Formats: sequence, structure tokens, C-alpha cells
Amino acid sequence: MSAATRISLRTTARALLYMAALSAALSGCADIGKVQPWEKGTLARPEMTFGGNALQTRNDDHIYTSREAASGGAGVGGGGCGCN
Amino acid sequence: MVDRVHRTVFEAMASHCEIRIATPDPQVAAILAQQAVAEVRRIETRYSRYRPDSVVSRINAAAGDEWVSCDAETVALLDYANTLYLSSGGLFDISSGVLRRAWDFRHAQVPSPEVLTPLLALVGWRRVQRDGDRVHLPQAGMEIDFGGFGKEYAADRAATLLTELGVWHGYVNLGGDMRFIGPQPDGEPWMIGIQDPRDPEGSVASIPVSQGALATSGDYERYFDLDGQRYCHILDPRSGMPVSHWRSVSVLAPLAIAAGSCATIAMLKQADGLDFLEQSGMSYLAIDHAGRMRHRRT
Amino acid sequence: MAASILSAALLLPGVQAHAEAPPANGEISVNYMNYEDRQSGLQRTTVHSPSLSILAPVAGDWALEGTVVSDDVSGASPRYHTAISGASHMHDHRDAADVAATRYFDRGTLTVGGAVSTEHDYFSRALSVKGSIDSESKNTSWSLGLGRSDDRINPVNLIVVNETKRTTNYLAGVTQILGMNDIVQLTFTRTLGEGYFNDPYKSLDNRPRERAESSLLAGWNHHLVATDGTARLSYRYYHDTYGIRAHTVTGEYVQPLSNGWSVTPQARLYTQSAAYFYYDPVYDAQLGAPFPPGYNGSGYMSADQRLSGFGAVTLGMKVSKQLDKLWSVDVKFDAYQQRGSWRLFHGGSPGLDALRAQTIQLGVNRAW
Repeated sequence: MSAATRISLRTTARALLYMAALSAALSGCADIGKVQPWEKGTLARPEMTFGGNALQTRNDDHIYTSREAASGGAGVGGGGCGCN
Repeated sequence: MVDRVHRTVFEAMASHCEIRIATPDPQVAAILAQQAVAEVRRIETRYSRYRPDSVVSRINAAAGDEWVSCDAETVALLDYANTLYLSSGGLFDISSGVLRRAWDFRHAQVPSPEVLTPLLALVGWRRVQRDGDRVHLPQAGMEIDFGGFGKEYAADRAATLLTELGVWHGYVNLGGDMRFIGPQPDGEPWMIGIQDPRDPEGSVASIPVSQGALATSGDYERYFDLDGQRYCHILDPRSGMPVSHWRSVSVLAPLAIAAGSCATIAMLKQADGLDFLEQSGMSYLAIDHAGRMRHRRT
Repeated sequence: MAASILSAALLLPGVQAHAEAPPANGEISVNYMNYEDRQSGLQRTTVHSPSLSILAPVAGDWALEGTVVSDDVSGASPRYHTAISGASHMHDHRDAADVAATRYFDRGTLTVGGAVSTEHDYFSRALSVKGSIDSESKNTSWSLGLGRSDDRINPVNLIVVNETKRTTNYLAGVTQILGMNDIVQLTFTRTLGEGYFNDPYKSLDNRPRERAESSLLAGWNHHLVATDGTARLSYRYYHDTYGIRAHTVTGEYVQPLSNGWSVTPQARLYTQSAAYFYYDPVYDAQLGAPFPPGYNGSGYMSADQRLSGFGAVTLGMKVSKQLDKLWSVDVKFDAYQQRGSWRLFHGGSPGLDALRAQTIQLGVNRAW
């Protein structure tokens, strides 16, 4: 494999390792995240989720993908288009 | 496929408590029931007057001294207590707990006026000062407590929690105050026995319930009998003396706290309690001091 | 008397289950977007894009979601750098649709989706699968996703015929509730593509036939009890085998007002490095534009502004109103500017005029 691919794989492995470690650390923390079901009212609000208005977010992402080099980050399988 | 009913029994708020729920997976039922028990204990811890670190104890400790800031849940309960005071013509008064000091139900002894009068001077919800989320008891020795509706509130919270966790069948029973989540797994209502006020092992009626709540207020929880007269723990805040017209009142309402409050107010209103129950539009079963039953199913 | 007791009881917190418990509710949304950009004082691209989406809960444990979009794109796209000529005017139409089916489990979800996009010179189809698993307390959620798309390219200038591009993407993420008012999310995605990446309408555009991209996205939503507002922040690090490294920071603040109104000011900062094969608008002394100095007809190269080094800023505002329990409307306005000199931490690519764009979107939503 090319040097670039090798470096990318190393970065990928490192990133996944950091995420796994962070995840384990967070679930180990005694006080963080011990939110009881009856306390989740605020968290259920739409603005507290990571979605947002699906159509508008999709349009924004599409505009940025057509005007900038970076793309994605949040989902999979969006399909391509001729705009970039 | 019929879900099996899972039963969890525990002690809380000085009562025998029971949670019955049915879920497809019995292990899930056990876990969910524990979450409901945890909620009951949370309320008990926060509002028990026996715990020095409870919200209620902090408010009482500051009597005659400072104003205490309360969180949203406590403010909501104080607002509710105010509604009960107004709806009952001043009979349901959460500052009347001090009268407890005059009555020791382990000894059959009626307190004298010398004992009651100074305590009555400390009773009066009207005197409790509130400003936004802050509350102040103006005189040292004054006390408030949520014992008059704490169990019913906990039953509603626990049952709501279970409903939101996806339970469709079951009920929460805290010392006879019950909130239903849904009928039995086969769709049939639960048959609930109303306790005979004079026979701990017997019931006077069995009623079918599948939703809403059933709460009972009676003269048989803490009492003593003296010279053929029963003295129970439900005290008229104006005289400090127990009520005696009804042996028990059971009410069906959408919420346990509403059912329990109406049952207690009917007990407090004594002879006028019947009009109160009739006007409420709720189903009730009331047994008077002679054992006569009055009831209405709406 | 008793009626007031019951209504007072209903005001207490947590004494009755809410009517809507996820994932029960459906929604239908319509959105219209108008986008325009300008460069060097000239109008460049204009896009009109209406779209529709429907989310329907099905049989208790399932949800189906479908979206259709119809873009109408017209304008002038530069042949190289920012050079616009009469010949580069175009008018295109793109239709796209996607569907996804999600199955909800006790402690997780599984989503399968498909997408199709078609324009006269570009056809794309994609499939994806994504799953999530919650911890017992549902305070932590892990997700994994996999997607694949196949594109077919047939540019009108016939510079190539029936070219293809195939992309596979992977996602791994974790969402963690930190407290009653805080939730964070970390998502790692990797995209591997092979095939035709050139822009056929740009002069001398010759890109590698492979591209691997990685990005790490961190998001934090924080509810402020004092104002009842919510701050939503995110940072994304991106890097790919074109040598492009990009940082994106976004922030928005949702402030509910009375009567169902809500305003959300938003800002986005973006910076990227140039692709290693991007060349600046400095041309060969003999051959002239668009040829790079020392052009010998071979090697990777591109004069596409999108691969240059630059920084960009977006400022936006969204205003929405919940009309009643079911209907809501919103309007969103964004102003965007991209400049080489705005690249952060390093110099951006010189010689390109600033690109300015504005977007307005109008949306109507109905729950059911």
C-alpha cells in the first residue's frame, strides 16, 4: 500500500483508540452521565439532539461540500453529485 | 403470548409497598421495577421530615430565621399544598404536623388544652411566607411536611416513570395508595379490595380498576380507642382534635395525589365531606362511623 | 373545588406520561432554498432547491423516512481559478431521493438506507447501514455505520465517457450524556474512494484516481438554565490524501422566546490547506493561462479554487415559530465569504478573488 494510505491507516487506528479510551473513561466516571430517566426532560428537546432540521442541514452540508474540499463527518452513504 | 406479572415488594414511607408490572421479558421487569423503587426512595429522601438533610427539614430548621430557596419540584409541591388549603376551606394544612407532638398513639391518652394550645399557635399555612422560589416560616417551632400527600405523589411519579419506560400493564401500590399503569396483561382490570376499616384482614368491597388511581384515607392507620371512641391521626388543624365522622374514604381519580387529597379532605370535612365528594364528580366509597357505606361510581 | 385539585395535581412534574414518547411521532417537512454566489463582482451560481421529507413511524418498532430534492442550478462556473467566460455558462437540474428504514430495539437501532441522485451528466446511487447501541442507563450510545456509493459520470463535453467512481465510507461514533443539561458526541468517519475524481469542466484538471479522507467531529450541546437557551458547538478536523487539512468550528445558540418563537444566531469558521497538486494562478511564461509554469502534459494538477488554501466565515440567523402543537415554520439566512487570506495558521493560496454567497431557506413542518 502507498505511504499515504499507510499513514492514513495509522491515523485511523490512533483516532479509534483515542475514542475507545475516552468512551471507557467517560463510562467509568462516577458522577458524569449518571442522569436518571426522570431527569432527561431537557435532553429530549430537539435542540439538544445532534440532528437539527434534516432538510436544512442536508442543504447546508451540500453547499459546503460544493465550495470546500472537506466533506462529511456526521453520516454515511449520502451518495455523490456532480457539484464537486 | 401473555406477559407474566412481576411483583416487587418493599418498605418505604413507613408502609408496605408493592409494584406489579408485566413485561415480555421478566428480567426487564425486575430492572424497571427497581428504577421505580429508586424514584420512591428519592422522594422519601428529599421530603422525609425524619432526615435532617431533607428539603423539608432544612425549611423547618430555618423557621423564625432565614428564607430558604427551593428547587422547582419543591415549589410545585408547595403550590399544590396551597391549592389544597384553599379547596378544603383551610382544613388541609401542611403546617399542622406540629400537633403530632401532642398525640402519642401508643398510649390511649387525650392531650389536655395546656398541651394543645401552644402547638395550635404554631399552625397556620396562611402565615407561611412565600416569594417566588423562596419560603419562610415566620416563627421558630413552625413546621411543614408533605406527609399528607407524599406517598400519593411518589406513586404517581413511579407509575409515570414506568409508563415512560414502556410498561403497559401494572400498578404501583404504596401503603394502599395506588396508581395504575394499565390493566392485567390479558386486558382484564385488576380487582382491588377496599380494606374493612375495622378488620385488617378483611375487605368491604372489590372494585375493578385498570387505569387512574385509587387512594384511601382512614382512621385505622394510627389510632387508639378510648371509652368506645376512636382517636385517629387525622387532626382538625383548628382544634387539634381527630376527626371522627368517617371510618374511611376511598376515591378514584386520574392521579393518586388528587385521589388521596380528596379522600383526606372528605375525612377532614366530616359530615360535609359527602357534599364535597358528590360535587367532585369522582367515584368514591365512604364508610361512616357507624359502618354505613355511601358510594358513587361515575 | 375538586376540579381545581385535579388541575393543580396535573401541574406537578412527572405525574403523567407525556403523550409523545419516542419514536412515535411522524413529521412531514417542506423546505425551499435559494442560493446565490458572486465573485469578482459577477454573479456566479444560482440554485433553487425545493425539497420534501416524510418521517413515518410504522408498526410501533419501525420508522420510515423518505426525502426528495430537486435542484435547479444555473450560472457560470470558472474553467480554471476564478476565470469566468461566456462559454462556462451552464444550466443543470438534479433530482435526488433517498429512503431509510430504521428498526428500534430496546437498547439500540438499526437503519438501512438507499439514495439515488441524477443529473444529465452524473448519476449516483448509494446504500448504507448504520447501527447504534445504548448502555443500560441509555446515557451512552455507540454507533457504527457503513456506506457505499457508485457514481457514473458522462460530461457533456465528452472529455471522458462512462467514467465511474466508487466510494466506501465507515463511521464510528459515541454519544455521551454528561448531565441533565449537557450531551457530547464524537464521530470518526473514513471515506475511501477510487475512480474518476477530476472535474471534467475544468481545464487541465487531473487528480489521483484514489482519495482517502478521514474526519473527526466533536459536538457539544449545552442547555443554559438561566436563559432556557441551548448552545450547540462543534469542531471537525479533516484530512485526506490530497494533502488537504481542514478545521471547521461551528457555533449556534438557540434561544426560545415567548409564544413559540425562537431565534438561532449561528457562526461557522472554516480553514483548509491546499491540495498538493493545486497550482496558484501563475502561468507558464510561454504557454500562458491556464498552463502552470513548466507544464509538460503530465502529472496531477488542478486549478480548482475549491482545492486551494483559504479560510471562510459564515454568519447566519434562523427564526422559527411553533404555530400550534403540529405546525411550525422557519426561515434561515446565511452569508458566506471565502478568501485565501483568511486561511488560519498559514498563508492561503494567493491570487483568487473572494467568493461571497448567501443562502435563504424557508421551511414548513407538520407533526403527525
